[in-house]
Order: sequence, then structure tokens, then C-alpha cells
Amino acid sequence: MTILTQGLSRGAVEELSRLKGEPEWMLQKRLHAWDVYESTPAPLGRRGDLGTVRAVANFKYQDINPYVPVTDSLSATIEQSLREAMVDTRAGLVVQRNASVVRTELDAELRSKGVILTDLDSAVREYPELVQQYFMTNCVPVESNKYTAMHAAFWSGGVFLYIPKGVEIEEPILSQIWIDAPASATFAHTLIIAEEMSSVRFVNEYNSDFTDERPSFLNDVVEVYARNAARVEFSNMQDLGLNVWNVTNKNAVHEKDASTTWVLADLGSKVNLANIGASLRGHGSVAELVGVFFTDQDQRFSMHTLSDHAAVATNAETLVKGVLTDQSRVEFEGMIRVQPKAQQTASFLSDHTLLLSKECRAESIPGLEIGANEVSASHGATTGQIDEEQLFYLMVRGIARPEAERIIVQGFFEPVLQRVPLENLRARLRRSIVRRMRGAYESEADTWVDAQERWEIEGVDEHAVQLDGPKADEEIQLSEY
Amino acid sequence: MVSELIIKNLHANIEGKPILRGVDLVVKQGEVHALMGPNGSGKSTLANVIMGNPKYEVTDGEIWFKGENILEYSPDRRARMRLFLAFQYPMSIPGVSVANFLRRSLEAVREGNKPIAEGEQPSGKMGKRKSIPPREFRTLLQEKMRLLKVDNSFINRSINDGFSGGEKKRAEILQMALLEPEIALMDETDSGLDIDALKIVSESVNALTGPNLGILLITHYQRMLNYITPDFVHVMFNGRIVKSGGKELAFELEEKGYEWLKPADEENEVGVNG
Repeated sequence: MTILTQGLSRGAVEELSRLKGEPEWMLQKRLHAWDVYESTPAPLGRRGDLGTVRAVANFKYQDINPYVPVTDSLSATIEQSLREAMVDTRAGLVVQRNASVVRTELDAELRSKGVILTDLDSAVREYPELVQQYFMTNCVPVESNKYTAMHAAFWSGGVFLYIPKGVEIEEPILSQIWIDAPASATFAHTLIIAEEMSSVRFVNEYNSDFTDERPSFLNDVVEVYARNAARVEFSNMQDLGLNVWNVTNKNAVHEKDASTTWVLADLGSKVNLANIGASLRGHGSVAELVGVFFTDQDQRFSMHTLSDHAAVATNAETLVKGVLTDQSRVEFEGMIRVQPKAQQTASFLSDHTLLLSKECRAESIPGLEIGANEVSASHGATTGQIDEEQLFYLMVRGIARPEAERIIVQGFFEPVLQRVPLENLRARLRRSIVRRMRGAYESEADTWVDAQERWEIEGVDEHAVQLDGPKADEEIQLSEY
Repeated sequence: MVSELIIKNLHANIEGKPILRGVDLVVKQGEVHALMGPNGSGKSTLANVIMGNPKYEVTDGEIWFKGENILEYSPDRRARMRLFLAFQYPMSIPGVSVANFLRRSLEAVREGNKPIAEGEQPSGKMGKRKSIPPREFRTLLQEKMRLLKVDNSFINRSINDGFSGGEKKRAEILQMALLEPEIALMDETDSGLDIDALKIVSESVNALTGPNLGILLITHYQRMLNYITPDFVHVMFNGRIVKSGGKELAFELEEKGYEWLKPADEENEVGVNG
């Protein structure tokens, strides 16, 4: 047992698999991954970048415990979080605490329709064919990079979701990952297989709950298979403490007419290295990525997105907005790749960053690789500070400068928040964003949320004067910032 | 007691260049003053300096409002004392709806003449503050919108974002109606408006005038004064008020232009925009 308490090694991989009582094929998969990990150099980033990729390479992996199983189920913090969870009605629930899944629930009706929601450890035993076919093969292959190989060698717990043909799940499924052991590593895996014509909304939350300064490490992988005409919406709320480092690799594979949405909200973690992909392999498939981040103190993010068009008539849109303050640093690399056979493709990417302090730094590198000739693709990136004239305008209306800044930041985020499909997640994001800015009042975000939602719901007053008759563009105009 | 805005010997620079060069002016609640003058004479600068725009540096003189020297006050505190500026070029703020913004603005202005503390205490505890219930606010806003015949679609749009010139000016007047200032500075409110829009905006201003509102109407055309009758007319030239009179002065300007008022010692100086 001692071999599995500190550091990464081949022996630790073998011990982990033995403890879990895994079949031989999974042990072999882990050992293969270990070999890939050993033989793959750590990515070090580009010359002259902000150094985040290199920082992850230099993390002291030998100081962490790669397997912290939990026997007592939910902590008081998790219990409370579930009561206040942003998804109040849900079709299913999975809670992972460190290396162990401690709770799984699934609506009985869905179970009777053949939906499978379980931890991945159980799926290895109960659905070996599906796991062998889909687990780190085609979507996020073991060999993708050094960290995916590390993940494949040490994964534990995890979510396995299978939606049979034609089953549409309306209420969201909530997955929570909790890290409450210092100096630990968690390798959480989410595998979603949405069969033909099925649909699901999945909400993933990453939280941590420990105060120890010894950092922990979360290396997670999310794999989404959207089969023909399936729809998958995946919302991710990352609110880890500043003593957690996070490396994440997420990808969605699209078959014909499939559509997926990534909603990625990154607020926490000390260092965050993210690779987010959309593999558009089926004719007519559609991918959307909406990203929001807010960094402060000495947080460092490095975010890489890839819209990979490999089939005819595919569409992708990536929209990322972020705010930086204090000494935080964020790198964003957004790539649009259109393969030669992917004609009639449309792909758009935009990344807008607002800097609130003089010490923070942001770097944005959009990229295009176009191999087809019948393509509509564009990208745009802006980085800037709050406009002094806008501030003056708000101040002349009685609003003090710090709050005026908060209002402008909220306005900056609003267009992407409008794209967040889950109302509760939207509200929680608004609150988190306001709270991140110093000096806010307790009710400030709620006032804003209430007003916003209420005006939207109640609409216009019937006694109101209509001067020019109804206009064509009466919906809320939220122009790009 | 009638509120007074008193400007004494005001000098101000932008980027080291002097724009205001000794302005003296008194505007009282209930009075309508027109401030006229050619482009670049310093009219807009005066409005911005009165509100405390940090772009400008006050090098000499005083601004008194309600018996307090407000020169050191932040723009938001001046607004909470019920000074108002209708901008010549209102800023658009994407993603912030007119409704939410106006509600916050009204809450802030109702806090009155004091510095506003931040909500979060050094302990990290967040404070609470008074807010106006959405329903009460909506009733009030809709009353003002009816008074000014403003289209309801305004409220859910982002502030000035994609607004036409006329819509922006009307949104400014709506804000003025809601915030109930004691002295309002209206900077070129007539510029960029066609004749119909000018009429609507002027009627809106007339609907708001009364014993509680003093107005300083900045314009370089006489045409708005066809609709709004000023009690006093001042002419500004190269950073100073060179002539003051009653409403007949406006007609005289219309007839003769500004040249005859140009001080002899400033023949060769070129005005600066603002």
C-alpha cells in the first residue's frame, strides 16, 4: 500500500489497478498509458509566452498522493452544496470526492428507458464493451499529450453516462467533483455517449474544500460522443481554491447532424491548463463554445480551443470573454482548423479580454488553418481596459467609481451570460463575478439578477406609449463588446 | 431655499492647454440660461469641469453648489447633490440595460450628498444598502416615459448602444426627468437632431422646467431657443463669457453672428474644440 501514497510510478499504477480489482485489459491500458507518459516530453509552451504551460510541467508530481479513496461518503460541505446546488431539479447526480464516487442517483423512469449513469469503475466491470470502445480511444486518445497519458494511467472514480437511441433527457444531470485532501491528485473522468437522436444537458462542477497550502492537482478528462443527430450540452463551473492546480482535456466527437455546446466558466484554481476541442466529423454537425473566466491574485490560465472541421457543412462558434485583475495572467489560443474535405464550413471565434489592473497580463492568439476553399471563417480578439469616458458617464449619474467599474464588467460579460442556457448557472455566475470584485454590496449581484430577469419576464407595460409602432429589432440588443 | 450654482473666475486646462480662462456665472433653480458661442469657445469644457471630468485640470477659480465648494468632490458626489449633465455625446455601455442602470442611478442619487462607502468591509463582510423595489421603480419610470413620450423598448436595450442620435438625446432627457436634478447642464442637446426630433426634445425639456429646475442650455444655434425660452443668454468666447443679456440677445446673435462680440485682444487666437 505504501507505494501508492506518494509520487507517480509504474508500481503505483499496478497497485491502483490491483486495489480496484480491474480486468486485465484495463491494467494493460493503464500500463500502456504509463509508458506513453514516461516517453512523452512535457509541453513547455512557446518562447516568450506567459509561462503557464511551463509552470505545469514543473509541478512537483512526486510530492502528491495519486490515489486518495474515501470511505465515509459526503462531507458537511458537500451536503450543503447539494442543498444549494444550482441545479435544483435534476435527472441524475454523481458526486466524486477525491478518488471515489460517493453518490450516484438516476431518475427511475430514465433507468427503465435504458439510460445508464454510474461511476466509471463500475462501468469497467458492468459494460466492458462500451468502455473498451469509447474510453480514451477516439475522442481524447491516451496519446494526446503527456497529461492525458498521466490521466489514463491513474484515472479513478469517474462518470459513465450512456443515453440510448432517441431518449431525450430534459432535466439536467449534475456531476460534482470535490477535492478535500491536500497534496493529492484527482484524475476524474467523464464519458458521455449520446446515441442517435438522444439529448442531454450535463452540468459539471469542480470544487475544493481544504485550507492546507500544500497544493493538490486535478487532471480531468471529459469525452463526449454525440452520435447521429444527438444533442449534448455540457456546462462546466470550475470554482476550485487557489491551492489546486487543474489540467483539463475535453473533447466532443460529432457524427452526422450532431450538435454540442460547451459552456465553460473558469473562476478558480491557481493554475489552469485547458484543452477544449470540438471534432466535427459528421456532415452537418454543429459545435458551440461559450467561455467565461475571471482571474485575480496570482492565478494563471492557459486555454486552448480547437474547432476541428473534418466533414462537409459543419458549423462552429467559439465565444470567450474574460476579465483579469491583480497579477493574474491568461493565455488564450483559439484554433480553427478546416480540413480539405470540409467544404461549406462556417467557423467563428472571438476572444475579448478586459484588464482591471496594471499588473495583469493577457495574451490572445487566434489561429486559422484552412484546407478547403468553400469556407466562411473569421476570428477576432481584443484586449483592453475599462474606458474612462464610460466610467465618467456612469459617475455623472451618481454611481461611485468602484461600482461603475463593476457595472461595466457585468455589461462586458452579459452577452456571453445570455448564451448560458441554464438559468441557475447564469445567476450563480453573475453573483460570483460581482463577488470577485472588491467592495461589492451583499445584494448587488442579486439586485442586478432580479432586475434583469424580472424585466425580461414581465416584458413591457400594456399602457405604455408606442410612438413609432413595433420595431423589427425589439429584442434586447446585446452587441459585441 | 433656492439652490445656486456659482462659478467664480474658473480656469481649466486640457493636456496643458488653457480652455477656460476666467468664467463667472450664476445659475439658480427655476432659471433657464442659454450659453452660446462659436465652436471651440469652451462651452462643453465648462459643463465637463462643473461635473468634475478628470480629463480637465482646474488651475484657478471656484465652483460652489448649495453653499459648498464642490471642486474636490468626485463626479458621482456632484450628481448626488442633484447636478446633472445631459451629454453631447452620450457613451454607449453594451450589456447594461437602461432599466438596471437607471434604477441603480436613482438609488445612488437618493443617497444624497455624501461619499458612498464600499459595501465590503475590511473584515470581508458585505454590507447591505437601500434599494428601490423593481415594481416601484418601474411605475416611476413608466410615468416619466409617458410624460416624455419615450418608447417602451428603450428600457431593455443596452445604454445608448445602437441608439440613433435622436434616441440618445431623448434617453438623456429621460434620465434627467427621473433623477430630478436641481441644476441641469444640457450640452448641445439640439445637435444632430432633425426638426421633428428637435421639437420632441424641446417639448420634453419644457415639460420638466419649473421652479425646482435650473437649466444651463449649451448651444451654438439659436434654433432650440425657438422652442425653449431662456431667461438669460450668455455668450462665450475663447474661454470667457463676454456678454450676457436677456432672450433678445439670442435673436441679435442670430442676426449678426458672433464676430462682433470677439474681444479685440484675441484676434489671433485659435479656439480649441470642446
